[in-house]
Amino acid sequence: MTFHRPWRGGIAVALGLVFASGMLVGAASADETCNSPYIAKLIKGQEDYVYVWALGVEGVGDGSDKLVTVDVNPKSKTYGKVLGSVSVGGRGEAHHMGFTDDRRFIWAGGLAESKISVFDIASDPAKPKLVKTITDMGDKTGYLGPHTYYALPGRMLVQALSNTKDKGGVTGMALYNNKGEFIASYAMPTEGGGDGYGYDLAVNPKRNVLLTSSFTGYANYMRPLGELIKDAEAMKHFGNTMVAWDLKAMKPKKVFSVPGAPLEIRWSLKTGDNWAITAAALTSKLWLIKPDSRGEWQAKEVATIGDPTKIPLPVDISISRDGKGLWVNTFMDGTTRYFDLSNPEAPKQTYEKVTGKQVNMISQSWDGKRVYITSSLLANWDKGGADNEQFLRGFSWDGKELKPTFEVDFAKENLGRAHHMKLGSRALRNGP
Amino acid sequence: MTAGGRRGALPALVLLACLAWAPPAPGHDGAPLAPLDFDPPRPGTYTLHRIMAAPDGEVVGLDGRADRLSHFTRGRITLLGFIYTTCTDPEGCPLAYRVFDTVKQAVAGPALREKVQLVTLSFDPLRDTPDVMRRYAGSRVSDNGHGPRWYFLTTRSARELTPLVEGFGQDLRSTIDRSNGAARRELSHVLKVFLIDPAGFVREIYTSTFLHPRTVLNDVETLLMELTDMGGLVTGPPSPPALVAPRGTRGTPRNTPTGP
Repeated sequence: MTFHRPWRGGIAVALGLVFASGMLVGAASADETCNSPYIAKLIKGQEDYVYVWALGVEGVGDGSDKLVTVDVNPKSKTYGKVLGSVSVGGRGEAHHMGFTDDRRFIWAGGLAESKISVFDIASDPAKPKLVKTITDMGDKTGYLGPHTYYALPGRMLVQALSNTKDKGGVTGMALYNNKGEFIASYAMPTEGGGDGYGYDLAVNPKRNVLLTSSFTGYANYMRPLGELIKDAEAMKHFGNTMVAWDLKAMKPKKVFSVPGAPLEIRWSLKTGDNWAITAAALTSKLWLIKPDSRGEWQAKEVATIGDPTKIPLPVDISISRDGKGLWVNTFMDGTTRYFDLSNPEAPKQTYEKVTGKQVNMISQSWDGKRVYITSSLLANWDKGGADNEQFLRGFSWDGKELKPTFEVDFAKENLGRAHHMKLGSRALRNGP
Repeated sequence: MTAGGRRGALPALVLLACLAWAPPAPGHDGAPLAPLDFDPPRPGTYTLHRIMAAPDGEVVGLDGRADRLSHFTRGRITLLGFIYTTCTDPEGCPLAYRVFDTVKQAVAGPALREKVQLVTLSFDPLRDTPDVMRRYAGSRVSDNGHGPRWYFLTTRSARELTPLVEGFGQDLRSTIDRSNGAARRELSHVLKVFLIDPAGFVREIYTSTFLHPRTVLNDVETLLMELTDMGGLVTGPPSPPALVAPRGTRGTPRNTPTGP
């Protein structure tokens, strides 16, 4: 474990101000809809920044994975511009990231290794700082490729994709405290129908339920996509399951058959709702996970995304705050789709637009009026030549049309491949 | 901790029986506690990991005298929550108060009252003086020393408070409310309550979504079963010796509730 600087900082300064004379904190002003429910500072207006976790590309800029900060406040003079970036000093297939529950730090990692980079975003939200590198996940757990970083109270639950032994898809979760100290690991179930694979995780704390999904291992996701899909044997090694866990006990309760690599999991955020939705990448289906009339958790296919025979490859999804709408990005056809989720048992597509030659991640503001899209899926799965666009694109959404508002060309800016996004706000700054 | 056992000195039925006859927790706003939306796992069937060492620092009791927080968080199972007495968020401090109140009643019997203690610590030293904390505590502090210990603590300054809130990872924000014309400082936080083992390690962090007497008491029993497995509460788990306060030498904090 590498310490770049002490962990103390912002709160002390903030408290000094709090108790000096009272401090005017700007109105909470930004958020997205797909964070952990434990994150303390849920903010609901105009965001100031989009943090983009970008894959380094050899010969492009410094070639390193980096966290890029983009100004996305339309009232700013630097709207739509890159404010800065923090390189981590190497390439490790940068992929996803997540806030700690106090929203002071972003944890980000790469799929080619077991390293996790921790950025301080509270001292100055406009200028994230790399403050720690966690390097013990492989040794402590045998897992490889940390993917999802999900805040629990005082802790971070990390879902891995692979393992260090055979680099296949059998993997598990690692639990750290917010200081980056390892606490425990949990293997994905390989019995009772479980395939042992992992991808995303998401929690419904009111019901004590943790859901996990499944993808594939290092041996597959690091191969060129064109080569992989021709390898029938390799294509058998994708996850086909989701698992409902007893969150408190961290024990699997039920394995669901969800064929075709179910990926991102989104719980409805509407108070009283008790269901989650996911998209299966290879079969191009939406699945609903919900208790039946007897209270038994069930997973069922509820919609088709595009034409599955053309393998549109649904990747990221983003649910609206009222649980009534879902954005779905399909990578291969570069299309962004909107599904009406008023009846989650029967989602209906109501809109679609080609938003890039390849699109992957999608995030929306809390009010749903702003939508952000990035381009990169995996270094070896992205398209080639002119189709290999690398960008962050902003859009406005009025319920009828996605209208472009700005674009950052990550290739021209020598920033690499744009992958995961998190929203930020200057109102969340600790101290002056 | 091994899973599956229902052994130990204090089975869940005892705790639940206590809850059954305990009067409804009134709480500060008088609202009843909402039922838990799920059946928690049985005590002893899961592991409460050591999340982190509980931080230490200077605090002030109801008598206005300074002491170390560790004096109130070691040697027994401790339920600790940060509050400020002007908090009105129903999912914040009032919820914690009602849960603490119910837990206190549930562990009031002779088998448990020496093994469990409660700590309510203010993070508003400007307003929450020892006198204010005494009024906040109300009758809960007036048990003539026969019930479980419930300590009401504050600090003398932000300087003393800072390492505690930072160490526990307790979110805290301050805003100025001008809705009524005059500026008024408002604190806000997301509720966290900490379960601390006798050796001083945080073993669970509750938020309002699952802070409930049922979850807390199950966890208390799980810890008690673990301690029984490891030789009992007196010796405690094999943790860093410096963190374990031997029961015989622990003494009684100066602001132990002693009655009106």
